[in-house]
Amino acid sequence: MHPHNDTAIAVRNLVKIFEKRNSTPVRALDGVSFTVRRGEIFGLLGPNGAGKTTTIRILTTLLKPTGGRAIVGGHDVQLSPLEVRKQLCVVLQDNAVELYLSVIDNLKTFGRFHGMGRQEVQTRMDQVLGLFGLDDVRHAKAIDLSGGIKRRLQVAKVFLVDKPIVFLDEATTGMDALNKRATLRAIRDEASKGRTIVLTTHILEEAEELCDQLAIINHGTIAASGSVETVKALGLGFLTLKLEFAKVPATLLKWLKSLDPLRIETKGSLVEMTISKETNLISLLSRINKERTITSLQVTGASLEDVFVELLDKQKGSLA
Amino acid sequence: MNAIGAVMYREYKIRITSLMWLFYDLLMPFAYLLIFGIGLDRAFTSGVVVQGSLVSYNEFFLAGVLSMACFGIAINTSYGFFIDRDNGIFYEFLTYPMTRGEFLLGKIMFNCLTAITQAMIAVALGSVVLGIPVRWEFFPLVLVGVSLGTAGWFFFLAIFALRIRRNDMFNTFINVAYFILMFVSSMFYPLDPMPAWLRNASYLNPITWHTDALRYFTIGVGEFATVALEAGAFFVFLVASFIGAVKTLQRMS
Repeated sequence: MHPHNDTAIAVRNLVKIFEKRNSTPVRALDGVSFTVRRGEIFGLLGPNGAGKTTTIRILTTLLKPTGGRAIVGGHDVQLSPLEVRKQLCVVLQDNAVELYLSVIDNLKTFGRFHGMGRQEVQTRMDQVLGLFGLDDVRHAKAIDLSGGIKRRLQVAKVFLVDKPIVFLDEATTGMDALNKRATLRAIRDEASKGRTIVLTTHILEEAEELCDQLAIINHGTIAASGSVETVKALGLGFLTLKLEFAKVPATLLKWLKSLDPLRIETKGSLVEMTISKETNLISLLSRINKERTITSLQVTGASLEDVFVELLDKQKGSLA
Repeated sequence: MNAIGAVMYREYKIRITSLMWLFYDLLMPFAYLLIFGIGLDRAFTSGVVVQGSLVSYNEFFLAGVLSMACFGIAINTSYGFFIDRDNGIFYEFLTYPMTRGEFLLGKIMFNCLTAITQAMIAVALGSVVLGIPVRWEFFPLVLVGVSLGTAGWFFFLAIFALRIRRNDMFNTFINVAYFILMFVSSMFYPLDPMPAWLRNASYLNPITWHTDALRYFTIGVGEFATVALEAGAFFVFLVASFIGAVKTLQRMS
């Protein structure tokens, strides 16, 4: 494997088998391959247990692969783990803060671990505290903070240091909408400065908004990969209808479900449903309107979520 | 070296958040000497015979207390792995730019400084308050001894703290280890009058090797050749435990 100069991460045929005494080995990754270019935001999407976190743990040298190869920042994760660690910083899925230290001491110790000088930490710290709305709690001990603020602190740490590659495993979990916005903005800003960001998320809108490239992983294999548009194009056979009614009683929802859409969701008076392009749209809309008056209507192509659900359903079907 | 310094800085930051810890760490050996030591000193007014030398129980117990303090710091430091795992920070540490060996060394080096400080306090107060005749010319070697003792026991216990996932199981392990290692040793009583099985078992115990060396360097009891052999054996134990702990950390990856 000879990665190009603009390659930040190259993963080829990565396999991870977890073997436990007295139980069947679990094949968590089964030949995963992808490439991430420098300065790119790369999303690794997939349902629970798909292999996202296992992939991140291998790329951050926390786990050794059973087979295949991964190059991070020009170094092999198995042959030069220390050199790999020098290139990256990570937000793990679990909360990871020093509970008995204050917010600023958490940042100071993290900076120190990543080789920053006292002055450099001080300068960056003020910026990061402001960026993540941690100014008011700077002297509070982490143990006294709410779950969401602890998560903000954990994410803030990686923006304190200037490592070329950042891994964010479900980074916005537990954050309120405001802080989520700030975090997404910070991720975008960092990428525009040339940092490579690899993120995993369950929130597909987040991935759609942020990622330059993504890979959908399921049962330890890559189900689809490419730019957001490329992956969405896989769902060209679908349409998403956003229908607004004065009210959505349970009877209406039941009736809409009887039309057999590929996906249906309600948010207050809004119903979002995905249908196949082969469906006669005019006839369908006319039937719905007869049942209950549609107050507003929007028809779009498939969303990333539609493609995601469809791909996973297809895989499920082929495995069954 | 920067990585070791960073781990030491982190250990220091954590430790100074609790004054109670600081008090326990620094004054515990002298407090033990003052209460337990004086109690037994009064009970055995005729003193104890160690390898032909008659010494007061306080004199005898000084090295035992220093050795026990090293073991205590090592337990607390290895228990820190459980706290770090509960906080979720443990796995984040393993992604920091340092080797597994640097992580372990940094973790124990700050605690060796604590052990040195508490040894200085215990020996100085033991000499002034309890009148223990300390061999001051060997005092630097006592400080080296407590550092190596703390490190050796930390590396040994770290192997178990990293392998055992359950907090309660580790506590049970520590209680059993504490009981066997401390009482089947020369920490609390001289081995000469003990039954052969206890004496022989005690000579297989690294706590005996460590305590005997500290006793030789604090009050001059024992034979140099035996102490040198025991010190050498303890150093081998330390190196083997360090390799074992690093390998355990690497295997966790």
